[in-house]
Amino acid sequence: MDESPPVFELLDHPADIGFRARGATLEELFANCAHALISIILDPASATATEQWRMEAEGSDLESLLVNWLNEVLYYVDTKRLVFASLAIEFPELLRVRCTARGERRDPAKHPVRLSVKAVTYHQLVISKEQDRWMAEVYVDV
Amino acid sequence: MSEVLLEPRDEYRYRIPRNAAIGMRTDVLVYSSQALIKQIQKDQSLVQAMNVATLPGIVGPSLAMPDIHQGYGFPIGGVAANDIEEGVVSPGGVGFDINCGVRLVRSTLTKAGVQSRLKQLIDQIFRDVPCGTGTEGRIKLKRDEIDKVLVKGARWMIENGYGEPADAELAEAAGALKGALPNKVSERAKERGTPQIGTLGSGNHFLEVQYVDRVHDSQAAQAMGIEKDQVVILIHSGSRGLGHQVCTDYVALMNQVMAKYGIELPDRQLACAPIQSLEGQSYLGAMAAAANFAWANRQGILHFLRDAFRRVFSSDVRLGLIYDVCHNIAKREQHVVDGQRREVLVHRKGATRAFPAGNPEIPEAYRHVGQPVFVPGSMGTASWVLVGQPRAMQESFGSVCHGAGRLLSRTAARKGKNIQEERRKLEENGILVRSESRDGILEELPEAYKDVDEVIEVVHNAGLAKKVARLRPMGVIKG
Repeated sequence: MDESPPVFELLDHPADIGFRARGATLEELFANCAHALISIILDPASATATEQWRMEAEGSDLESLLVNWLNEVLYYVDTKRLVFASLAIEFPELLRVRCTARGERRDPAKHPVRLSVKAVTYHQLVISKEQDRWMAEVYVDV
Repeated sequence: MSEVLLEPRDEYRYRIPRNAAIGMRTDVLVYSSQALIKQIQKDQSLVQAMNVATLPGIVGPSLAMPDIHQGYGFPIGGVAANDIEEGVVSPGGVGFDINCGVRLVRSTLTKAGVQSRLKQLIDQIFRDVPCGTGTEGRIKLKRDEIDKVLVKGARWMIENGYGEPADAELAEAAGALKGALPNKVSERAKERGTPQIGTLGSGNHFLEVQYVDRVHDSQAAQAMGIEKDQVVILIHSGSRGLGHQVCTDYVALMNQVMAKYGIELPDRQLACAPIQSLEGQSYLGAMAAAANFAWANRQGILHFLRDAFRRVFSSDVRLGLIYDVCHNIAKREQHVVDGQRREVLVHRKGATRAFPAGNPEIPEAYRHVGQPVFVPGSMGTASWVLVGQPRAMQESFGSVCHGAGRLLSRTAARKGKNIQEERRKLEENGILVRSESRDGILEELPEAYKDVDEVIEVVHNAGLAKKVARLRPMGVIKG
């Protein structure tokens, strides 16, 4: 099959919910994981880039870097009530991620909340690289 | 799931011996029936209960309640006691919703008295009690007030006009755990949670207007001031974003320090630290603060609920708090293990404390009947009032189940379901539902859960808790 798989898809869990995200680079993987997480929380349709925020996380290995990164995103989305139009990700160090996020403050009418996410977990966490493509599976507590 | 060696002990008890997997320090004791055990075996929850049995310093068995289902690290419906000196504390053993719990409120109204104005009442509650998912709550705490809430819990709310004096004592730990350390709660956690105080939240949180369907123990029911056909209200909520962030912060911290303490675990989400370590003590101080926030939150909800009832009926209508229990918590308690009195930290993850009659922790009004326990069922089915029994103290560190227990995933629950159709079906059964989100209803349909009556049969017959009353819903408010 030549068809490329979606950048993310939702996964089933007996109590909660997860997602599988892909990316050609680690930057892309981290961005797509963030987009997947946000799409669980709200309808991210047509966000405009009126403001920008800097998000940052670090970890002791790739797994904790990803979990800490997604919890950083969750904090911004949940507490500051934001919706993002774009995420520009870089790794200034091996286990540090930095992101310039462009977006706007949420309008409940335009971006209704689907589900409140409590946290991103290590449960059944998978990060792998196959044939030059990154893939991650992440479960969140809702 | 993978094959787990389950030895039936009697009709309601199963054992997984400690030699079933490498690293287990103790047995797993499962409370279940023949019917429920088949459902339990469908997910990873028993493997998770076995993983809990590997925690350093675990005392007695790793316990699984009949409502057990797969969680993160710890199963939901699990209990583990850890030696206070040698043991560990695991934020995952408490969960992301610290002091998620249930409070039950009695009204001076009957089912017939509410029925004629049910729609008006449910609409009013939906307006007055915010779900807080899309918008902020109605209580605006000042920056210097949040730390006081974190120490005083429900009492701060009552002192500031969000409750009645009688509410104060009628909660586990009188609505405030001692040892709360607001300075161990991150600014992020405070920022995330403060605007949400007095809000229900989403997921499985809800508020139900119910009536007493059956009374099984008239003495205990009388002590709680409830009788057949009386209208009661059940509030199920927790510590909102504040508790979620405390857990997130400390799972991250404990993942960093586990190696320092030489702890290796089969699942990273079980991340823990010695109870007596700096990290362990910091977490317990932050957890107590988050628990107190949850009690303050449920107190705020009760306040708005009283407003709604007064608006719809009259100012003569009284709503009295019966009791408030938490089902995600770690508590320092004394228990007799193998004939010896020991100080332990009891992790209750989706499990409720159920102390028997005579225990000094129980408010005087209930001490002769046992601690009230509230077990909410799934939306549209039934909830239960129980009282703790002596066998809970002997076997399960004074603990019992907390709900029906999830059976289907959220996606599976939603599949092929139509919101109008489901709402109509509930209304045909006399149950009105208001929800901020469509998915909130579809994912919490009764089919998604085990049969709560069957779960209660197990804990009642196993002698952990005794049936007092069965409650049936009339109206549901969901996030």
